[in-house]
Order: sequence, then C-alpha cells, then structure tokens
Amino acid sequence: MPAASGISVLIVDDQMTMRALVRNGLQQLGFTEFRDAVDGEDALRQLISRPSHLVISDFNMPKLDGLALLRAIRGHPPIAKTAFIMLTGRADRELVQRAVQFGVNNYLVKPFTVTILKEKIEAVFGPLT
Amino acid sequence: MDPLEAIKVTFFQECEEQLSELESGLLAMEQGETDSETVNAVFRAVHSIKGGAGAFSLEPLVRFAHVFETTLDDVRGGKLAPDNNVVKVMLRAADVLADHVRAARDGGVVEEARSQALAAALEALNGEAPLAPVVSAELDDMPGLEFTPLTVSEDDGFGDDFGFTPLAAGIISLEPEGPALRTWTVLLRPKNALYAKANETGLLLRELKRLGDLQVSIDRSELPGLAEMDAEHAYLTWTILLTTDRSQSDIQDVFEFVDGDCDLSITAEDFAVSPAEIGVLGGDEPFDVMALIQQAQAEVQAAPAPVIMAQAFAGPASPPAPAPAPLAAAPAVSVSSPPPSPVAAAAAVAPDAAHGAAAQQATIRVDLDRVDRLIDLVGELVINQAMLAQRVTESGVPRSSNIAMGLDDLEHLTREIQDSVMAIRAQPVKSVFQRMPRLVREVAAMTGKQVRLVTEGEGTEVDKTVIERLTDPITHMIRNAIDHGLERPEVRVAAGKGPEGTVRLSAVHRSGRIVIEVSDDGKGIDRPRVRQIAIDKGLIEVDSNLSDEDVDNLIFMPGFSTASSVSDISGRGVGMDVVKRSIQGLGGRIAITSRPGQGSTFTLSLPLTLAVLDGMVVSVCDHTLVAPLTAIIESLQPKAQDVRAIGPDAYVIAIRDTYTPLIDVGAMLGYRTTPLDPTKGVALLVEGEGGARAALMVDAIQGQRQVVIKSLEANYRQVEGIAAATILGDGRVALILDVDNVVAARRREKARSDAKLATVG
Repeated sequence: MPAASGISVLIVDDQMTMRALVRNGLQQLGFTEFRDAVDGEDALRQLISRPSHLVISDFNMPKLDGLALLRAIRGHPPIAKTAFIMLTGRADRELVQRAVQFGVNNYLVKPFTVTILKEKIEAVFGPLT
Repeated sequence: MDPLEAIKVTFFQECEEQLSELESGLLAMEQGETDSETVNAVFRAVHSIKGGAGAFSLEPLVRFAHVFETTLDDVRGGKLAPDNNVVKVMLRAADVLADHVRAARDGGVVEEARSQALAAALEALNGEAPLAPVVSAELDDMPGLEFTPLTVSEDDGFGDDFGFTPLAAGIISLEPEGPALRTWTVLLRPKNALYAKANETGLLLRELKRLGDLQVSIDRSELPGLAEMDAEHAYLTWTILLTTDRSQSDIQDVFEFVDGDCDLSITAEDFAVSPAEIGVLGGDEPFDVMALIQQAQAEVQAAPAPVIMAQAFAGPASPPAPAPAPLAAAPAVSVSSPPPSPVAAAAAVAPDAAHGAAAQQATIRVDLDRVDRLIDLVGELVINQAMLAQRVTESGVPRSSNIAMGLDDLEHLTREIQDSVMAIRAQPVKSVFQRMPRLVREVAAMTGKQVRLVTEGEGTEVDKTVIERLTDPITHMIRNAIDHGLERPEVRVAAGKGPEGTVRLSAVHRSGRIVIEVSDDGKGIDRPRVRQIAIDKGLIEVDSNLSDEDVDNLIFMPGFSTASSVSDISGRGVGMDVVKRSIQGLGGRIAITSRPGQGSTFTLSLPLTLAVLDGMVVSVCDHTLVAPLTAIIESLQPKAQDVRAIGPDAYVIAIRDTYTPLIDVGAMLGYRTTPLDPTKGVALLVEGEGGARAALMVDAIQGQRQVVIKSLEANYRQVEGIAAATILGDGRVALILDVDNVVAARRREKARSDAKLATVG
C-alpha cells in the first residue's frame, strides 16, 4: 500500500484557485510533494526535467489543454507511465471518453470533495496508507 | 486563516481577472474577432468562475454562470453564431455575472429580476434551457445512464466500460511499512562548465554515497583518442543506480551547485531512462518540447471522435439523433454538450501558442504595503544620498576625486533603484479603462443614445495610486460626454452625422506625464448657454469679455452645472469642478477644447508617480521653495520697461508682446510685505491648468533637482499655494509650490477686483 507522502504530484490548472483547492485536498490526505503548473506546456516542461508520480490536470487550459498534455506524456517514453487524473469542469462524458482513449487513469469532476479525491487516487494507486 | 478561506480570497481575486478577460474577449468578439482562441478564452473565463464558485457552494453565482457557460459552449461548438445581438446579450450577462461575483464576495444580493431576465435572454439564445440543474447534478450520475460501478468509485457516473487503468501495483513500488527503499537511476553528464567552475564528479559521487548504496558505471564512448582530446572538454557520462530511502529532492540537492552545468536526470527505476535519452533531459540543445506538443496535438485531433453514447437534442435546429452506437445500450439520454464539430475540436486543442504566451506572464503577488514601504525607504535613500553628496562637496573634496566619482556612481545607481521601484507600482490604465464599456452601455441605455466607445493606449502605465484615483474622474467625464456631449440619434441624423456617437478614451505617455483624453463627436459646448448660466449663477458679470476658451473653462467653476435639471446620470450637482479638483489633487491638470457641432475633448495630464517630482529649486526671502518643473515654461530676468503696474500691487509683464500677470511669490506666501523689485529677481513663466499663464517672481534660482514628495497635509496641514514638502540634500525642508493654485488664486483675486471696478464704474 503506497503512502501518500511517497507520491509526488504535479497539479496542472490555469486557475490558481483550483490549484490551491487540489493542493489543499492532497494535504489533507497526507500528500507532501506537489508542484504546480499553469498550463499543459508548463506541465510538460516540468515533467521532462523532473518527473512526478501523478499528474492531476485540468482539461480546459490555454496553450496546451489537458488532453494534449496527456497524449504528450504518453508519447514520451521517460514519463509515459506517469499516472494521470483529469479534472473536468462538467460531467462531460465525451471528453472523458476521449481521455480514456489516450490512457487517462481516472477523472475528477469539479467541484470535488476530499473523499472523492481520495477515491480517485486510490482507484489509481490502490488504498493509501 | 482557514486555508479554504484563504483560497476563497484568491478565488475572488482571480474572478476579477477573469471578468476582465471575459469583457475584453467579448468586446473583441463584438469587433468581429470570433476566432476559436478568443471564444475559448471567453468560455474559459466563465467556466473557471463557475468551477471555483462550485467549490465554495456559491449557488446563485454558479447558477448564473452555468446558464452563461451553456450558451458560450454553443458558440464554441459552432451551434450559435456570435452575431452582434448575441454578443450584446453576453456583454450584459457579463455585467450581471460581475454583480454576482461581487455579491458573493461582499455578501450582497443581485437584483433577482435582472439576473433572471438575462438568464432567460441567454437561454433564449441557445433555444433551450440548460439541461443539467447545476452543482449537484454534476456530482450525480448522468440521468438516464446505467453503469456498472467502477472498481473503486461508484459515484462517477461513468461505467467501467471506459476501462480506467488502475495502477495499484504500478508506478511506485513502496515497501509495505517503514521507510521505502527505492532505486533511482541518476544520469549525470557534466558539461565543460562544471569542471571549469572547479567542481568534481568524484565529490558529487561521494555525496551521493552518503544517501545510500551506489552502483556506478561510466560511459566513455565519447572519449576521443589522446591526440584529439581537448583537455577542457567533458566527455564522460555516469549512470548511477542509487538505492535509498531518501526522496528525490534529497538526491537533487546533491547537485544543487552544479545545476545547469550538467545534464542530470533522476528517475525512480519505474521511470528509468536509457542513457541514449539523456540528451533530451536539458542538454545543450534543449529537448524540443514544442515538437512533442505539436505531435500530441496532431494526434489528439486525428483521433477518431469517440462513439457518442446517445444524443437527444431537443433544440429546434438539432439534427435527428443518430442511431445509437453499440455502447449505448442504455436508453436514450441527454448529453449536456453536442459533439464538437471537427473544426471546433481541432481549434480547442490547438490554441495559438503566441497568443497564449502573451496572456501568461510570470507574476508574483506582493502585499502593497511592502511595496510602499520599499518606496518610502528608497525615497529616504535618495534624500540621504543627496545629503551625503552635498556634504562631500562642502568639505572641499575635488570633483575629480575618487570619492566624488564614487558618489556619482552611487547617485546613478540610486536613481535606477528608484525608477525600478516606482515601476513596481506602475500598472496599465487598462484596469480603469475596462470598467468603462459597462458604464457606456448603462448610460447609453438610460439616455436612449447610441454610443460606441473606443479606447486607446490601455497598456500605458502609471502609478497604482494615480490609477485608483482616476476611476471617478474618468467615469464622470464619460458620463458627461454621453449625457451632455452626444446628441440623440435623430438629432445626429438631422445634423448629418451617423446615429451612433463615438466616445474616445485614450492614454499616452508624453514628456514624463500620462495624458488621458476623453473626447466625443457630439454637439460641442453650447457657449451662449454656458455663458448665460454663468451669468445667472453670478459667476461672471453680464458684460464680461470672455474668449471662447474662457467660456469653455467656466464649466470647471464650482457650482456650475449645465444640466437644467439634475439628471441621474451626471450626478447630483457634482460638476466638473469636482473632477478638476481631484485631478489637481493628483498633481494633474485638466483642459477642455471644444468645437461647436463637432464635439469636445477633455485632456488630463498627470504625473506618472506621486512620489517624486522634478523641481526647480528657488529662493524667496531666505526660504527655499521648489516649483514643479513641468509647470515652468521658461525663466527670465524682467527688464524695467517690460513691467507695467495695472493697479495697487498688481503688475503685468510683457513677454513677447503678451501681457502676463506677475505674481510675487514672497508676498503671496506672506514672507514679505514690501513687494520685490521685479528687475532684481527672476520670473518663472508658468502655465497653470487650462493654459492660464503667469510669471512667478522669485529672488533667485538655485538649480534643478528631483525631489521626494512628502505630504504636508499628513505631517502638518493643507496650506494655500503649497502642494507638498520635500527634504533637500542639506537636510532643510523646502515647500513645493502648487502652481495651479497660485495662478488660480491670482485670477480669482483679479476677477474680484475687476468686479469691484465694474461696480464703481
């Protein structure tokens, strides 16, 4: 069972508010290692210079959206295995389906509770200690 | 503060940014810029506000944003053409959204009728009510869809038919208990610079050894023969397998001092990178992230659209529902958004990179108090530096000495620090200008006039304090321009103009000041009427001989209001005199030019900062005063034949065939009772607001200097004719003259004495 503190997370969202909310949730769950990225391109650059275990990324962002970020990660072998949870603003089934095509590990609908955040992460990594 | 409360504060700050992006995006759409990036930015703004509001359960805001978002989504998806009418509704909706945000922030309530009316107007645009009843619905299952629950989460509304990939035993292999031991692959390829800076790979390896077990291998394949070898070139690459319970950042820290001087990659074994790939990890030629991005975007675009579960759009324009795809064994269902057309989908994932780059700037938020404290300290530094320089000069150190030259450098540096610090407070006037479109819409609606607002120079920067205090005057002038300046559509047409009037708001930097103009193409100032009103109100004499310019300037007189009935729009008896006073309070000037039938232009000229001033240091009766350099046109020594007495203690001076009133500053400030002999002093020809000129008599000029402004009001009290104070290099306090005030006081005096003469005559 993985410990939350052993999982490094890259939070990708163009909204400072949303990044803070995700970070706040992760902190409550015992996560200690997180970085922020403001859009897909920023995220990709950061991941390439220093990988993370988990990416929690918004979908609709300027420059490079979440879907293309996901595709780019999966298409770049050194980071291709990074776990990826997509944040979506609306229960947009089609979007989630597209993300699944590109190998998303799970998704999270905004607004979310800490419980749901935990469930989604556990769905990816297994129960957290 | 509760972390959530702190995030909420951030949220409202971000909302303001998004609201302004929303408005500028919509205005761009109004001008015909309906490219996908603009539309998407507008959508994103509303979407983000809704998303954040949902997290804080701000129900009314979420509800309104949701309706707005749904309509915008139709525009984005190509279902709704963003014609003028649509954009106009959206602009009004943006105003209501802004009201909702502020109501949520300040605990107020938005006028329900207005909010509902616009929500209805938005819904009318997309031809249907939004399908999802907002917040709760989005957490619930999608209506009508039946799913087998996913392994872990059961609330998500999507089934395991998606096949999410659980990674349970995947990416990270942690030990069940105790500190987890992991094996990291550290790839290290030093660059020449690493050795050049006397760093040693051996030492780095020794440091790493302290973290855990090492297996080191070296790649010598690039090592040339001895003959070709360049002694200062780095040829080796190390692959280090490090097994440790320490974190990645601990490992990273070992390389802290060689950061940038080597290619470095630290990956857990699960992320293992082959040595061949190290080149992509920050080598001399940076890895082409853009290529990866472009490829990913192309692939996302090229990917076949997923099978849509089911679609049942009730909208009148919607095509017949396609035959259910195999996956949609579930009953027909409503999906909240239609499948985007291929073009729209492509646009959504391929935003214009350059455009995005401009929108995203690296910024930090700093408490304003800290900046102000810094500015204050730098002000003190400037004064101290000046005092030190003066003492050194007084001590007889020659100008060519090292000390004096060092001081010159210090002065130069101090100036640069000061400019840089001032620049921190500088902000584009955009924040003020952006509020005006809404104002124009509202005033236009109230007056029944058609108005187009054109703004120019939004990026012009000026001190934050100036910006904050500009909003009211500009608001007032724009209201005035629409209410009093522009004619009704039918009147305009009758006068041979287009029915739509134009109000132009512009900002530009001109010789160290910011110049803001508010102009309209309306009827111009009705001079006979202004004159009559001024007479009726006893502001001028019936037979006063006034130039057109003088008449125009009457509107700045206290108590003057041209509206025969006080209208809602231009305020209640608050006239242009208030505007003028607030501009003067900022060290600014205001002027008006008007041409009958063609419109009026108000010109504001303001200092870029309120903290420093370029001044002319003068002496008056053993006192030292500072006159703002911007007000001074020239200085001259009056000749006896140029000075004429026009009354007791009243003189004029002929300067190039024009008589200009002569003001004895010493007498005016009460420093002396016997007037100065004009030929023994120096006259400063100054221009007050509205172009009124006067010659200020002082005893002598000491020189020009930039001075740090210290508020006299804050430390003492307001004094007529004095704008502020400063501390000079020798530590003395000098008063800064308020030139506009001095000139105006002289004019008032003259007007009174003229009136007296008229009565006598």
